[in-house]
Amino acid sequence: MKFSIKRSAFIQGINMVSRAISSKTTIPILTGLKLSASNEGLVLTGSNADVSIETVIDRNDADNELIIEEEGSIVLPARFFSGIVKKLPSDKMTLSVANGFQTEITSGTSSFTINGLDAADYPHLPEIENDNEISLSGDVFKEIINQTVIAVSNQESRPILTGVHFVLKDGTLFAVATDSHRLSQRKVALPDNQGEYDVIIPGSSLSELSKMISDDTENVKMKITENQVLFTIGNTYFYSRLLEGTYPDTSRLIPKDSETNVQFDAYELLGAIERASLLSHESRNNVVKLTIKANVKQVTISGNSPDVGNVEEEVESKEVVGNDLEISFNPDYMKDALRAFGHSMINVAFTSSLRPFTLVPSEDAENFIELITPVRTF
Amino acid sequence: MEKRELYDGIKDLESQTELMLTQFTEVRKALTEVMEENAELRIENQHLHDFINEQKENVENDNKKSRPRSSKSRENLEHLFNEGFHVCIEFYGSHRENDESCIFCNEILNR
Repeated sequence: MKFSIKRSAFIQGINMVSRAISSKTTIPILTGLKLSASNEGLVLTGSNADVSIETVIDRNDADNELIIEEEGSIVLPARFFSGIVKKLPSDKMTLSVANGFQTEITSGTSSFTINGLDAADYPHLPEIENDNEISLSGDVFKEIINQTVIAVSNQESRPILTGVHFVLKDGTLFAVATDSHRLSQRKVALPDNQGEYDVIIPGSSLSELSKMISDDTENVKMKITENQVLFTIGNTYFYSRLLEGTYPDTSRLIPKDSETNVQFDAYELLGAIERASLLSHESRNNVVKLTIKANVKQVTISGNSPDVGNVEEEVESKEVVGNDLEISFNPDYMKDALRAFGHSMINVAFTSSLRPFTLVPSEDAENFIELITPVRTF
Repeated sequence: MEKRELYDGIKDLESQTELMLTQFTEVRKALTEVMEENAELRIENQHLHDFINEQKENVENDNKKSRPRSSKSRENLEHLFNEGFHVCIEFYGSHRENDESCIFCNEILNR
């Protein structure tokens, strides 16, 4: 195998697949990065058994300055290899595999020889044979991910809750995540996509994927099989395993009616919660209290820590309707939830001090909802 | 000779400490068992009391219809939840760490 390439294009590809490569893997060959040169171009692969990323550097794209002199493939130790490529002196570089798996990398006057591994030992990527493809615009998809992964559980003891539940039905895509303390649900209408899916995608895979979707990403295509999902972003293919099992029924969790409704500016409320949580983090149970007095349209947030002191803040609210209420909750969940709204106005609906409350955007309230369970205080 | 006595003394002390540690562990285990049993007995006792009261009420309101008791099982669940255990289908019986909240339990308790 022998090729030469523009270094910046190569680094971009290496960065892409390196996301999947971990130095802590039980399969030694997966610490490597697979390169394979063929007629079409250069294919880079990285994998950690859960997630695999493959990217193709096109031979026909003049920007890449890719010249393949000899086809073939090799696996190189990712950590050293990417370090070397990034530090090479010239704009162009040449890589050739000599006898055995010795690989020579040259650029300008510099020359490295590193030991590679047989590419035949590298695990095969799953074959996704499915004509039914879901296509979503990059920014919408990124938004779906960022709005749901915040509620994913990070406790390995509850494997099923470490994923985001995706359901495509009747032309609507639902994405739901919960860690049993809070819940986040996003709905997107996909009228052009027929077919039905019900899968659980690991939250960690989705976070990684969302980092790969840049502002100029046009479309993300999604293909699903029994235990794998493939996302296609331009020339890059992102494979992830799916979580096995049945996701708990979350449809009943969302309250249908409410007793008290308040409208906030999400960003202002976030600031107040952040201030109150400064003290609550010091106390053992980490709760802040929200007090609503509907007749005087007053909303107060308070937090206290027996050792340090207490804080009280009146929050500006646009609208207060319903009964008076006192409710305590974990401010960290509230912060995560509010960050997903940015600067928009939100409606918060409470039922009682013991029932979960909901946050929805004031505009387009149908499509995004967050649920937080209060903490029982006695 | 003195050194040897010192060594033997320490060795004795070591085995005694070990023995004590084992005894501590055993006593702690026994205590846990007793606590569990105590909780069970308390609940059982409560049930029996409730049963007796109910019987009394039934005798008193013999010709009246007995009042609906649909919330009985829910009370039990709520009791369990307050004791620090999950009552939801997903994690039933597992311990709620730091008295954490649970969406699923909440839904069941307020159904």
